[in-house]
Amino acid sequence: MTKRNYATVNPCVMCQPMGSALAFKGIENTMVLFHGSQGCSTYMRLHLAHHFREPVDIASSSLSEKGAIYGGRENLKKGLKNVINRYNPKVIGVATTCLAETIGDDVSAIIREFKEEEGIGDDPEKDIIIISVSTPSYGESHVSGYIKALDAVVRKFAENSEKPKIPEDIEIMDYMENMEIMGYTEIIEKEKVAETLQEAKSPDIKETTNGKLNLLPTESLSPADVRELKEILEATAGDYIFLPDISETFDAPLGNELPKIAPGGTRLSEIADMPNSRASLGLGIVSKNLALAYLEESHGVPGHSVPIPIGLSNTDSFFTELVNTIGCPIPEEYQKERGRLLDAMVDVHKYLYGVKVAVYGDPDTVFSLTAFMLELGMNPVLVATGSKSRDFGKRIKQIFEEIRPELEPVVLDGIDFDSLNDAVSECNPEILIGNSNGRYIAKARDIPLVRVGLPIHDRVGAQRILTVGYRGALELLDRITNTILEATDTFTAPVQVEPAAYAGQGAEKEFMEGAQ
Amino acid sequence: MKEKTGIVDTLEERQPYIIRKQERGQVIPLACDNNSLAGAISQRACVYSGARVVLNPVTDAVHLVHGPIGCAGYTWDIRGAKSSGIETNRSSFSTDMKEIDIVFGGEKKLSNAIDELVGIYRPPVVFVYSTCIVGIIGDDLDSVCKTASQKHNIPVLPIKSEGFKGNKSDGYKAACDALKQLIKRPEEETVEKKPEVSQKARKPKINILGDFNVAGDVWLVKPLFEQMGIEVIVSMTGDSTAKTISRAAEADLNLVQCSGSMNYLAKWMQQEYGIPYLNVSFFGIEDISIALRKTAEYFGSEEMKKQAEEILETETNRIMPEISRVRERVEGKKAAIYMGGAAKALTLIKGFSELGMEVVIIGTQTGKKEDYEQISYSVRNGTVIVDDANPLELADLLVKQKADLMVAGVKERFIAYKLGVAFCDFNHDRVVEFEGFDGFVNFTREVDASINSPVWKAVKQRILKPEGVESERTAVKENGENISEKPCAKKYKEMHMDPEFLRQNQDDAVESQV
Repeated sequence: MTKRNYATVNPCVMCQPMGSALAFKGIENTMVLFHGSQGCSTYMRLHLAHHFREPVDIASSSLSEKGAIYGGRENLKKGLKNVINRYNPKVIGVATTCLAETIGDDVSAIIREFKEEEGIGDDPEKDIIIISVSTPSYGESHVSGYIKALDAVVRKFAENSEKPKIPEDIEIMDYMENMEIMGYTEIIEKEKVAETLQEAKSPDIKETTNGKLNLLPTESLSPADVRELKEILEATAGDYIFLPDISETFDAPLGNELPKIAPGGTRLSEIADMPNSRASLGLGIVSKNLALAYLEESHGVPGHSVPIPIGLSNTDSFFTELVNTIGCPIPEEYQKERGRLLDAMVDVHKYLYGVKVAVYGDPDTVFSLTAFMLELGMNPVLVATGSKSRDFGKRIKQIFEEIRPELEPVVLDGIDFDSLNDAVSECNPEILIGNSNGRYIAKARDIPLVRVGLPIHDRVGAQRILTVGYRGALELLDRITNTILEATDTFTAPVQVEPAAYAGQGAEKEFMEGAQ
Repeated sequence: MKEKTGIVDTLEERQPYIIRKQERGQVIPLACDNNSLAGAISQRACVYSGARVVLNPVTDAVHLVHGPIGCAGYTWDIRGAKSSGIETNRSSFSTDMKEIDIVFGGEKKLSNAIDELVGIYRPPVVFVYSTCIVGIIGDDLDSVCKTASQKHNIPVLPIKSEGFKGNKSDGYKAACDALKQLIKRPEEETVEKKPEVSQKARKPKINILGDFNVAGDVWLVKPLFEQMGIEVIVSMTGDSTAKTISRAAEADLNLVQCSGSMNYLAKWMQQEYGIPYLNVSFFGIEDISIALRKTAEYFGSEEMKKQAEEILETETNRIMPEISRVRERVEGKKAAIYMGGAAKALTLIKGFSELGMEVVIIGTQTGKKEDYEQISYSVRNGTVIVDDANPLELADLLVKQKADLMVAGVKERFIAYKLGVAFCDFNHDRVVEFEGFDGFVNFTREVDASINSPVWKAVKQRILKPEGVESERTAVKENGENISEKPCAKKYKEMHMDPEFLRQNQDDAVESQV
């Protein structure tokens, strides 16, 4: 599409360490330290502060020229020591940056050495847990950084709490392999999914389980989303472990004091308990959920992934999966919410039918949003993600075939905003759905933008944007519809009297033929 | 006093960076200008960031970041620097280096990216920023840029801004080095520039250095000089273009505002082209007055001096009613200043004093020894001065010094908010001009809105205690038995309503009033 092959213009992804911070920040009493130069942590703090409107403290090993030449060992140790000294965390997530990776620091070894020197053991009850994850900026994107960090967290706690069932060397091989094929998957083949589902359903798959359900997303959800999912789980599964829980840490109430580390986050005892859960539920099916796979392969916790529950059918799948796994009924409250969503969908269908929409953002969020747009009768003419992903296109095509096979969307992965702009020129959407960085395109083309995703720094309330569950679908539905109404009021004729808006070439053709 | 153990609770190695101005003795032993301490959570960024913020407002340049995607992503349109024309600078260009480029080198990709971007955007100049890993893998930026420069017949300038090679100040320097190469030697005039001569011969010309046109600041400053009969050739770098920068050496005088970033360039221009410079500020009535008067004095024209006085009188009279109105509402409030550079911190002290406010905390990310000496000279006794502060220190200081308002950037904003302290952004994020006369009106209005908003009253009570609320009391009576039986009601009783840090404590009082 674009005429460029070498330069990236207006990036649509952030780098890996950013993703790791989003994951680590959802763990109780955790500090994040980037092993690299001072700027990385400052820039990412700025980026996250803009989005969440919360103080975001991320430490840095502040590598200088000396550190870059002779190795960052001393800086990293000093950084850890100072963070412990000042913040007294229970967990420190150490993410590498491109500098640390390129100079070849052996971070695990340095941490081991540090622990020995400081007399820090492996007792999760009293010792500080230091988790390292390799997240150079030149590899993949913030999405993979997020997934890798969650995986590292789950592994670390599982190792600490019990002996792995598989000999360690095999596990490491497996891990390496995972890292290599991470590039958005070749996920579990269909048989395997079915098999897992089967296993999950059978009550005695794990001999000793704590009866809990693990919840592991592949992309950072908003604090409001996490709160909503927790409420649903409370009402259905009862016992669950949601990792990472940023509902409080990135959306803290104004309290009596300013704690050094925001309260909230997934409790450490619960993370340690994840290998004992009866099953894991992954949210997101485009990217491979490494933590989920690890728990299944190394600890026999059956894992199954559903799309992020945005929209009717995706939320239905989520509830169905809960019912199948837990065996609980769907609470009346949610049946009512679902009913209200259906009612709203009927109310607005004329405004939305055939409206051409471009959706962009992180792969799994975009996947779920697209499915919702299709359910509403909208016409997603352009579906794009900034991450490079082999499965993205396949998954998106699949969903179109299921719901609206007559439509022919442009599906792109690994884009920057400049190529998105080119694609937008070609596809002519009437509305954009995605993060704030699409505002330049929206403004230039005088079309509205409904903000979903990260970053949203030019509007308030990013932390409160709810998209998941029936309630989230309702809110999103209202926002989209009202945005269209606002735009059509002011700029163009109402959607329902403009034949071109009844897009979908097939549908249009049918309509024409019908008229004849 | 706790003076011996430090002003705030912090790491031992950080103690020398925080001092309190005492009644006697001007010599300050404040430590500064060092690399940030690992794990201390500095608010500073890196060398690249320093270079980028200085050059980014050059509107028609392609700012190409040679490195992995993050560095370009986080700095995309980061400065609210306005342009009166082209806005190439608002796009983010990156070579998006991947693992393969790290292994085999990124020179080829860089050279292709330059060709590509020059083909599409036809810029008059390309700035190529190097990032951390470029310094490690050793891509030869100089030679790639030189070749590209010859090929496209435009300056393609390498900016040596590897993040780890120093701090933000080194980035400023790298940016100035690039600007130097854009400035052309004036053709016709080789005559020595004496103000009398040049003034008679032609219109006096100046450059403004260290104004980045955030929110359109420069547009409120330039007209003041134009009214005095002075041509402003270029503002570096706010709303500048490669062409206007190239003419900078035609100036008779440089006015330097952001000294931290631009004194280096000004000194060089003095040596190279014999152009003297004055350090000024366009913020606050006092500093604007000094700037206009100093400039008129430099050119020595009575006419110009008269014009300056006329402008000052008219403008001051025009805005004074509004300033006085706000002054009444904010007088006596305590301000905290935490800035990137010292120049802005210094001018803010004066700005606050014009509003009758007192500065109780002042700090910078990149101040030098001389800067802190000057700061110390300008503030009252008891004011805490801090270099390269971190969030915990700032939070502690805001509480201990009982600040009512903080002026800083985004990262500090939410610390202040969480503590119930008003905040005013004087960084990249602001959307209204703060410079010039109207800018100062904007600033005072923002200070007023920040301090006097009723939300600060609301947030004094962080926990609802129904027993304490008049209207709720009746409700309690009516349903008394129900409420008292609820477990939560008990819990609320135990919680105290007013946070400790909001309580007045005589012992801890701010010392500046001594």
